[in-house]
Amino acid sequence: MTKKNKKIVIVGGGHNALTCAAYLAKTGFSVELYEARSQIGGMASTREFAEGYTVPGAAHLLHMLDANIQKYLNLKGHGLEFAANRLKTISLNPNGDALVIDGDRIAGGGITTREQQEYKAFKKKVNKLARFFRSAYRHSPPRIGSDKKKDILGLMELGWNLRSMGKEDMSDMLKFIAINVYDLLDEYFDDDFIKGTVAIDAVLGNHLGPRTNNSVITYLHQLTGEIDGVQGAYAIPNGGMSSYTDALKNSAEKLGAKIMVDSSVREICLDESGKVCGITLENGDEINADVVVSGIDPKSTFMCLVGPRHLEAGFIHKIQNIRMRGNASKVHLALSALPTFNGVDANDLGQRIVLSPTMHYLEQAFDFTKYQACSDQLAMEIIIPSIHDASLAPDGHHVLSAIVNYTPYALKEGWDKAKPAVLENIINTLSQYAPGIKEQILHAELLTPKDIESEYGITGGHWHHGELTFDQFLMLRPISGMGQYSTPIESLYICGAGAHPGGGLMGTVGRNAAVELMIKES
Amino acid sequence: MLLQQDHYKKSYYETPFHSRTSELNILNEWQRWKDYTVATNYFRTDLEYFAVRNTTGVIDYTPMVKQKITGPDSAEFVNRFFTRDMNKIAIGRVGYVVWCDEGGQVLDDGTVFHIRENEYWLLCVERQLDNLAISAIGFDVEIEEITDDVACLGVQGPTSCSILKAMGFEGIEQLKPFDIKHYDFQGHEIMISRTGFSGDLGYEVWMVNEIALNFWDELFEKGEIYGIKPFGLDALDLVRIEAGLLVPGQDFMVAEDAIRPGSTRSPFELGLSWLVDLSKPVFNGRQALLEEKKRGPRYTFVKLNINGNKPAHGSYLYNQSGKKIGTVTSAMFSPSAKANIAFASLHEPWKKGKDKIIAEIYYQKDLEWNRVMEEATIVTKPFYDPERKRITPAELY
Repeated sequence: MTKKNKKIVIVGGGHNALTCAAYLAKTGFSVELYEARSQIGGMASTREFAEGYTVPGAAHLLHMLDANIQKYLNLKGHGLEFAANRLKTISLNPNGDALVIDGDRIAGGGITTREQQEYKAFKKKVNKLARFFRSAYRHSPPRIGSDKKKDILGLMELGWNLRSMGKEDMSDMLKFIAINVYDLLDEYFDDDFIKGTVAIDAVLGNHLGPRTNNSVITYLHQLTGEIDGVQGAYAIPNGGMSSYTDALKNSAEKLGAKIMVDSSVREICLDESGKVCGITLENGDEINADVVVSGIDPKSTFMCLVGPRHLEAGFIHKIQNIRMRGNASKVHLALSALPTFNGVDANDLGQRIVLSPTMHYLEQAFDFTKYQACSDQLAMEIIIPSIHDASLAPDGHHVLSAIVNYTPYALKEGWDKAKPAVLENIINTLSQYAPGIKEQILHAELLTPKDIESEYGITGGHWHHGELTFDQFLMLRPISGMGQYSTPIESLYICGAGAHPGGGLMGTVGRNAAVELMIKES
Repeated sequence: MLLQQDHYKKSYYETPFHSRTSELNILNEWQRWKDYTVATNYFRTDLEYFAVRNTTGVIDYTPMVKQKITGPDSAEFVNRFFTRDMNKIAIGRVGYVVWCDEGGQVLDDGTVFHIRENEYWLLCVERQLDNLAISAIGFDVEIEEITDDVACLGVQGPTSCSILKAMGFEGIEQLKPFDIKHYDFQGHEIMISRTGFSGDLGYEVWMVNEIALNFWDELFEKGEIYGIKPFGLDALDLVRIEAGLLVPGQDFMVAEDAIRPGSTRSPFELGLSWLVDLSKPVFNGRQALLEEKKRGPRYTFVKLNINGNKPAHGSYLYNQSGKKIGTVTSAMFSPSAKANIAFASLHEPWKKGKDKIIAEIYYQKDLEWNRVMEEATIVTKPFYDPERKRITPAELY
């Protein structure tokens, strides 16, 4: 059988699934992609939450885009443009001037020249370490204990990349993997405000506090990203987050992939020998396929679509134990005018604004999460996308999009009951920094991890399809023994963020999975 | 349910038959079996052994771990848990089974009783609740350990059927090997299966604790003229080796207890290929076993007939060039087969059909250690395999 008449069905239409579809179509496979929602893009899409007010549905910034994918799939040619690039980070200060971070330059917030230099040195160090991670991201992670040449070479390359960082960076790398971001930042800085500002990048979207070990890995993971060759840059696509996934879709369709929306998949079907043979849609339609690729999270894939009884118990037990405790919510506000934030220059409102004054602030909020409660002082990453794209709100009006951390999926009180109070708390917290914002609010929406689970079909509402901890990282992602996109079921692959290298709008998982599949199925 | 609420004072359980077994255990030799105390020997190992072989021996099996699996998905559940095709074990039948971990290594062996629709009992040596519970994710089944709630006796030997018939269990002789039948005994339901660990005609009787002593008394009263005797674990070990049956923890390492890689065994490495149905689309360990099939096993299980009369306990085995090729896991001099028999696990460089097997046997004479090197041959059939084990209706004496 040649590639051309091998039919591949992809489940889910998130950015990784779309990337995978485009790569496979480009190689000559016949590809069909089925998305449950009426809009493709999954968590990278737009959402009209009130009439005339549109926001990014979940993710609201691009910062990890894989440059190779961008080029290979000609995303620019398919409509991906940036409305704003190299956004500065503005850290809200409860006591006055906001801190402004622009690349490795830091200003405002009453910091000293010495601290500015320290920040530069710190960024240089962590960026270098993050590039080591990135070197491991662009291909399948090697299997440990395998005697295949590819795996041995992969491990050797990983070791070589680590060694070639030099003695000092290599030992820093080994140390950083083990410690937490709290201790790390304490070592580099004295100023609490700087530390709080940096630390939010380690914890946003993750179930951990700054003092949780492993929080340096999540920080470095976040720093692996780049936009147009600038490491750690943030960008807002023109036309909202959908334009990124629309560009992927256009690219995939141009290459011959068929993309179906409103097609929820009920089951991944197996034949009598246990090999994958197609999918069944929610409407009962049966679609045959030689290969199925799942772009949804591993728990949903195996526990719901394949079903535990078709897999060995040891495997199912591991899948069930993947930790994916969603922690991040999304807040959307429709505002009658541009808000003002204390200590923030009006020209900087279109930048990335973070609310994370100290590491203690974060740790204390996480303490509530540990006991399935929600603090009334939460950390946030805020953007006002309507500044860059006037079409998102009526004339003169604006939309605010915030990712709010430390709102646990498994809230003891239950989200149905707690939701209005949590939203009110979030607005109260915001108005501490943006007085007057309350009066500007026309509509407000809170998407809790529960809502994200039901809206986007992700177990636990976990943005990264599984926590990015060291035991669920590299060759251990999603579980040990399944690190190379294939599964115990013949011709079933996974290409979602639950696989290596994980969450973030990279598309790298989709690409890696496609490459792996080409090798195995050709 | 705890059998004895005061067990912690003694740190062991007594089986429901204890008041009778302790009277008969004139040697007062006991051993611990899953926290129960059971007789090692009652009066003399060899005489207990000969009771099983020539008349009837009775063993208190109560400590055997018993797990009940019920619920609408139980048939599918057992078929995924065990390596063999469980659809072939009809209602009212018993099957010998092994089950594996993810690596295709044997966790334990045992018997499964298909008692009625959607009800199975698993009887084995090691507690399996955790393995069963993990395996139950996604299945509508209920799993319960009933070890303490069910008393059990093994009634084994040529006259066993006659005794049970004399007790009034009509049609008992019609039970085929591995059949189950339920009877009423003093107003309680008891279950009799034509199963056992002796390799001879024999039955196992399963009952609630309340009637255990009455059943024992009646069994021994009716059995007296048929030569009924109790037998302990030492005699059991002799009959099970002759029957060719394995014991976990002795003939193979229980996979989840093993510390060293390579010390566990797959079903293929225990001579149990016939219990593995790789054509089933899924069962625990299948993927690893498929790979082993391609790669070939690391070990070969064999039954040996060794020259001489010195039992080869724990012997090293060598080939003709003096290379170590394996070890003996169980050994005895078999009075029934009149042979020096053993189970062994062989490994490289042993070549089937080419290499000799030579056992290095140590034995004592007046505390003085001696060593002999004896050649062994492989036996494929059980060492002791009387026709009456299979005949239905069972022979009455």
